[in-house]
Amino acid sequence: MSTIDTAPPRPATGLQGTGELAGIVLDWTPVPWETVVDHYALYAAEDADDVAVEDATLLAKTVYPHAQHRGLGGTARRWVYRVVTVDAAGTRSRPSKPITVTSQESVTVSGTPVAVVGEFDGKGLELALSPDGYARYTQTFPDGVDFRHGADDPATGWSYLHPGPADGWAGRREHRFRLRFPLDEAPADDVDLALWLIDSHASIPGSAVLKVNGTTVDRLEFAGGATKGSLQGDSTVPGSPLRPSYVERALPADLFVPGENVLELHKDDGSWIAYDAVGVFARPPAHE
Amino acid sequence: MAPTDTPPPTFDRRTFLRLSGVSSAALALGVAASDADAAATPGGPVPDGVFGLGIASGDPGPGSVVLWTRLAPEPLAADGHGGMPLRPVPVRWEVSPDERFRVVARRGTAIASPELAHAVHPLVEGLEPGREYFYRFRVGREVSPVGRTKTLPAAGASTSSFSFATASCQAWYHGHFSAYRHLANEELDAVFFLGDYIYEYGIGESNLWRAGASVAPEHGAEIETLEQFRLRYALFKTDPHLQALHATAPWMVTWDDHEVQNNYGADGSRYGISTEHFPHLRAVAYRAFYENLPLSLSTMPDGPDSTVFRRFDVGSLARFNVLDTRQFRDAPPVDREDQYDERRSMLGRQQERWLYEGMSGSPATWNVAANGVTVSAITEDRTDQWDGYPAARARLIEAMRTTSNPVVLTGDIHRHVASELKADFADPDSPTVGVELICTSVASGGDGAPTDGYTPDWVQHPYVKLYDGRRGYVHCRMTPDELTSRFRIVPWIEADADAPVRTTARFVTPAGAPGLEGQE
Repeated sequence: MSTIDTAPPRPATGLQGTGELAGIVLDWTPVPWETVVDHYALYAAEDADDVAVEDATLLAKTVYPHAQHRGLGGTARRWVYRVVTVDAAGTRSRPSKPITVTSQESVTVSGTPVAVVGEFDGKGLELALSPDGYARYTQTFPDGVDFRHGADDPATGWSYLHPGPADGWAGRREHRFRLRFPLDEAPADDVDLALWLIDSHASIPGSAVLKVNGTTVDRLEFAGGATKGSLQGDSTVPGSPLRPSYVERALPADLFVPGENVLELHKDDGSWIAYDAVGVFARPPAHE
Repeated sequence: MAPTDTPPPTFDRRTFLRLSGVSSAALALGVAASDADAAATPGGPVPDGVFGLGIASGDPGPGSVVLWTRLAPEPLAADGHGGMPLRPVPVRWEVSPDERFRVVARRGTAIASPELAHAVHPLVEGLEPGREYFYRFRVGREVSPVGRTKTLPAAGASTSSFSFATASCQAWYHGHFSAYRHLANEELDAVFFLGDYIYEYGIGESNLWRAGASVAPEHGAEIETLEQFRLRYALFKTDPHLQALHATAPWMVTWDDHEVQNNYGADGSRYGISTEHFPHLRAVAYRAFYENLPLSLSTMPDGPDSTVFRRFDVGSLARFNVLDTRQFRDAPPVDREDQYDERRSMLGRQQERWLYEGMSGSPATWNVAANGVTVSAITEDRTDQWDGYPAARARLIEAMRTTSNPVVLTGDIHRHVASELKADFADPDSPTVGVELICTSVASGGDGAPTDGYTPDWVQHPYVKLYDGRRGYVHCRMTPDELTSRFRIVPWIEADADAPVRTTARFVTPAGAPGLEGQE
């Protein structure tokens, strides 16, 4: 008679990866529901052709056929991954085929800082009211944020949360954050905006109008986060539930003027975003 | 018979066929193994102390009950397997009408397999209805403590009384389960647990208010994998008063949101998990729920789906409909127009139909819905409750109007509330069609206080007769003439488990005259 079969589960198949800013996204085909999965174990190694499946290379355990390798910073980094299926009985599959993926390089690395608030490090702890002081936002920033680069301190001058009109705790209204910075001369080449978030509202992160010196550049759409960044400020903590996201885009050179420039983020849609850092970067000179 | 009709309570052919492949053997043997099965299970040493998570019984019928234990000599082993070797182990059980087991009414064997974290759910049949029994397990030479359980009265039998309690929301890290210490001493035919048996949150300095407790780092992250869910159940079950209450009376358990994730509904997460991915979380969460509670095999999940709504008949006295207010609900409303859409459902169409037919057509004197979230109208923005599903609530109330003595039992809000259910909540003069008895939390929210910032929202309504924000449980005694509900509280839970218990309010609901008559 048969009692209990402890045959190993099937390995995950179809492992795919996408390099993103500061991270790599992995997806695979889940095993069928007939196998009760405890978790998928994700193994990773940097700058290698393959990864050994051992405790030292275990990057994460997840129940989803999906993982985000976060916190890779602005430098392009190359990683190799394999996935092992662990079933409800604790039985492990053989490893999946490996896949190698490279993350994208950020303008915070390739460019030269022109005006930066905070550090691009996966943490918002250096910003005002962080990590959980949102209840004091309206009294601290009744007119939004107006930050003068070189004079103001991020710890007091730039709120960690940027509320939107969906936020009752911030008056259910629109909120403008302005970054003022001087330029000796107008840039010859386009510059880049880097806007890193440690988290955002999960279902209604909304969008914001981006203006430079009063000219509307674009509407920035934000990715849904985990709705946890209003209470915690460090996405690099192991097991952090925060879901960082990144916006980097070019800003045409002709928007800028010698003297003071104003970059404005006008949150007129949705709920809050939680900042990691924001900045403007000049591009490196083109090589002939 | 009870449980009655859909879904079937027993391990029948249909259930067996629904299960497939490797798992079916493990599941079947965890419920009822033959002597041949037991003989074919390889032996081997088992560590001492395998009953570290206690014993339990649940889902009783007139001649049956489900027994439960999960072998775990090291309940907090980080891999969720409780320190058990990853191989099947035979578990013998005995049921006796006598606490000293001088006569054994039934005995059998179940196979504890690693696929179910070494949980067994033997279904004991052939018992006498309406009778107290005692049970114990044996693994190798180790014998478990003795548990007490009770079968339900025979179908249609005249039943003079039925005593039960409701409990919910046991955030272990917020305090001691003092309420259970007292509840175990009450007169009890059954316990109805109304959701939030575990919480998914990471446990750390900011929320560990249980004096004297500490946790290992693996408890610090929000749980996601099956091993983490298993470990979380084990952590909560380390409370001795919880184990003692499980061993005192049969439990009928349903879930609310925190058995999976805060405020989820169907495939929808409030925390950014896509609808494509969320079923994977549900699958492991539902699996761990089954593994760790004394549930019928009919509740065993099939992938991300599980049927936990079920029915228990207590002779001719009462019918209990245990509901699932999470798995089938429509998404939160996007605006007021959506909120009032006639098509919105809290239970899903199939469960609604099953409930209404089972209520209106019931021969029982009392007809109870054991449910996760508040039915009474409180405020329009409480959209996680039935306030978010007003059309579905109107259908429920309409069904109650043709039901004998409807009663709703609720948890979720961490407050004692007693409310009269109105035919039209907007018109306080409209008829009262039933009562809602909402039990406070066992631990969630810490010590609590009689009143708090939410009190005005509730007591503004003339149909709300009680509000108390301290910890405790509700004890009820039903007879053919009346339902007596006592709202019990303990004044503190964070410092220790020594708080005394007292009754903060007592109501009588006469049969045939729905309402809450306060008595003190």
